[in-house]
Amino acid sequence: MAAGHKPLSDLLDEMALKILMIEPGDLSIVGELLDLIEKLLPGQAAPDTPVVIQRMAAAFKGALEKFIMGELADSAENYDLLGQCITEMQESARKEGHPGEKILEQFCENMGRIGFSLVPSALLEGAGSSLPEKEVDAVPPQSESVQAQAPAGGGAGQEAIPDFLQDTDLLAGFIDEAFEHLESIEVNVLELEQSPDDMDIINNIFRPFHTIKGVSGFLNLKTINKLAHATENLLDDVRNGKRGMDSAVIDIVLTVGDALKSMVENIKEVLQNGPAHYKDTDISGFLADITQLQEGGESGAAPAQPASVSEPEPDLQPEMAVSEEEEAPAIEEVETVASPSPVVARAAQTVASPRAEAPASAAARPAADTTPKKIGASIKVDVEKLDALVNAVGELVIMQSLVRQNRLVSRIADPKLTKDFSQLTRITSELQRTAMSMRMVPIKQTFDKMIRLVRDLSKKSGKKVDLIMEGAETEIDRNMVESIYDPLVHMMRNSVDHGISPPADRQKCGKTETGTVHLRAYQKGGSMMIEIEDDGEGLNTQKIRKKAIERGLISESDNLTDFELNNLIFLPGFSTADKITDVSGRGVGMDVVKKAVEKLRGKVEVQSQSGKGSLFMIRLPLTLAIIDGIIVRVGSERYIIPTIAIQESMHPELKNYSTVHGRGENLMVRGDLVPIIRLYEIFGVESTYKDPCDAIVVVVENEGRRRALMVDELLGKEEVVIKNLGGLDVPGVAGGTILGDGRVGLILDLAGVIADRGD
Amino acid sequence: MEAANVAQNLGQGSELAGKYLTFSLGNEDYGVGILSVREIIGVMEITAVPHTPPYIKGVINLRGKVIPVLELRLKFNMNHKEYDERTCIIVVEVQGQTAPVQVGMVVDSVSEVLNIAPGEIEPPPSLGSSSETENILGMAKVKGEVKILLDVDRVVGEGLLQQFASQ
Repeated sequence: MAAGHKPLSDLLDEMALKILMIEPGDLSIVGELLDLIEKLLPGQAAPDTPVVIQRMAAAFKGALEKFIMGELADSAENYDLLGQCITEMQESARKEGHPGEKILEQFCENMGRIGFSLVPSALLEGAGSSLPEKEVDAVPPQSESVQAQAPAGGGAGQEAIPDFLQDTDLLAGFIDEAFEHLESIEVNVLELEQSPDDMDIINNIFRPFHTIKGVSGFLNLKTINKLAHATENLLDDVRNGKRGMDSAVIDIVLTVGDALKSMVENIKEVLQNGPAHYKDTDISGFLADITQLQEGGESGAAPAQPASVSEPEPDLQPEMAVSEEEEAPAIEEVETVASPSPVVARAAQTVASPRAEAPASAAARPAADTTPKKIGASIKVDVEKLDALVNAVGELVIMQSLVRQNRLVSRIADPKLTKDFSQLTRITSELQRTAMSMRMVPIKQTFDKMIRLVRDLSKKSGKKVDLIMEGAETEIDRNMVESIYDPLVHMMRNSVDHGISPPADRQKCGKTETGTVHLRAYQKGGSMMIEIEDDGEGLNTQKIRKKAIERGLISESDNLTDFELNNLIFLPGFSTADKITDVSGRGVGMDVVKKAVEKLRGKVEVQSQSGKGSLFMIRLPLTLAIIDGIIVRVGSERYIIPTIAIQESMHPELKNYSTVHGRGENLMVRGDLVPIIRLYEIFGVESTYKDPCDAIVVVVENEGRRRALMVDELLGKEEVVIKNLGGLDVPGVAGGTILGDGRVGLILDLAGVIADRGD
Repeated sequence: MEAANVAQNLGQGSELAGKYLTFSLGNEDYGVGILSVREIIGVMEITAVPHTPPYIKGVINLRGKVIPVLELRLKFNMNHKEYDERTCIIVVEVQGQTAPVQVGMVVDSVSEVLNIAPGEIEPPPSLGSSSETENILGMAKVKGEVKILLDVDRVVGEGLLQQFASQ
């Protein structure tokens, strides 16, 4: 097999995360899930994928397709069941593809409850012929209001692949820009909910729609253009005071934003993987909704606005003109392509009629708009270029120290050279700092997405939740932003879904009706902390304990603190069999969160008080690129210990040294017994000293555990650039770095070193 | 599976034809497809990495990049031979889990680049256990000498990343 296959467990973890993200009505993630599951299908899966998992995957895919076709209800319960199915697949994978019948039966039962009948034997024998064939006819989506959002996975539209692929450079630019606009729309809409009458905010929403409309028309992206145009018109009505800004408008703007996002994402995919990936999106539902809203609130035909105010964005003008031209054929398409219900036809007409108005209204932008936001001038830089710069700076720093440490050079006693060197050092470290800071972005973007999530969750569950965000300006390594999003969503969900109870229940407990979720980010030492705190139910420690004993994770006699018990929820497969509703998401464990955070060299913990709330804490390194470390020597090898973890170092005295049963070695450090870890033993190298009293011990602390690491010598302190070991991933080693002499030194991963040694 | 592989190789000997970098391990000659070779460097100091199988010698600094190095002799269950002035590290690039990764392979000596014609390639012999032949794309007979054509992706990709994950 090619090494390109992801390990099975990773794939399943990824799926588990995805299923958590699905909201009823949001089929874009179902699409992503489909992509993932296809990697497990017979014929495409890695050859070592157990056959039973491939069969399960095939069944799972069948079910997913039915969701997309609308044959199965697009409801939260069903996604919960799907989540359990994934858990059962994970369980099967853990058992090396020999799941007991029980798991298979559960899998089939869950599938059955979704509405996808399956018998366990089909997973074990035969060629899976009992799997239903993929349905070809598109069945109309079920009554859900979101029907229009369903990407027509092969059904509705037969529109040929449009010719927008002519200018891919422009298109790529548009994609980036559109994402930014859509994000700003979302943030502004949510702000608008707080103050519905703020004209500035309405304008801030109107403008990006307008730009998207203009550029998409210019680029021949007809569907996007039409949808943006219709929404723009609706917003224009609001701006002109023809209708008020109410929740109906906000909802439609949000859903349209989502739809546009998935359409733009599709375009991106087309750009990357070729036109075959183009999915035509049926937007007639939106157009109908928008028209309905407009008709409800509109009193008469829209008169053209006098274009008296000077055009603040003249560069849009030519694009506008093009987009207007493009519109005519676009409208016709709605009528011919989409299911020809009268509503749609009406939608198309209304969209078409105020056409003359659009350029005028764009010009009639209030003066308030033209005041620029206070943002420093910035340019966009390709991420690859940025990474290349950071790498090159890293090399520069290393080379500089190589030159300085050169034996001949270091012997030159020329004051000018010394001065020049220190000047050079100053410049390089300045350069290094700047380069590193370029990779940092405020976490605000990620946090802002949570506003929407909490809003949707609370609306759906009928709970009242206040989200209070602190420290959104805290900066985080750009490379971490994406990876932290999924776990954050999972935890926010947990807090709102399971932590906060419905208003009535809360009142019974003497709490305010409205629950509060705090989302905090701050820097602490060399780490970035993200905390999610809710004032909800808290974890049921006793239940967790019972569950853990059942699953054999702890024994009856184990005496664990509440803190330790609560953190058991991060163990894999913990919340599988029956749901502990207080803590579990979709029957998918919190272990996926933990794994995602640990991949970033971070750590996640939970503190909870039953009845009072829970506090989830994620600790992340500030940057993934640099670490401040002490270089130690063990025999002929050198290792780097992260400085933040080091408490002190010393030559131990014999009177402080003690053993337990002749094995467990301890050192008395300021009145505390600290277990000794002989680094040479766990790393299997020859060391100079075997007696702790000859050697040096470095007292380190990691996650509340103190250990004395025995080393031969301390060589110095240095900021080192972390490099991965080119595909090697070993316990106890966080990565490598190039030391002053050009050799590779290994950076210790203390959590791994300590775990290696047990407790 | 193995039978299918053999059949495939029989039928597609022509696909294997092309340029190979040949090198020797003991008295055996091997070849790797020239397209996966990035460079050939002399032996440099290798930093050992703990908790790895013996054939993974450690990591080296390749102009600022840290790359793993494996010793092919140990990987193929041959005896370790002291490094000498002919010992080389062939740096190859294979598809890793997410991005291509570069890996060094320690070999006794590098010979030459050979253009191997389709007619000169035969399927790998069946040596009983499949694990020994699955690294082999085929056998090439060039000027009366046999060169073992290695599937670098397998040797490196699996040898390094896969087996290793299960450790």
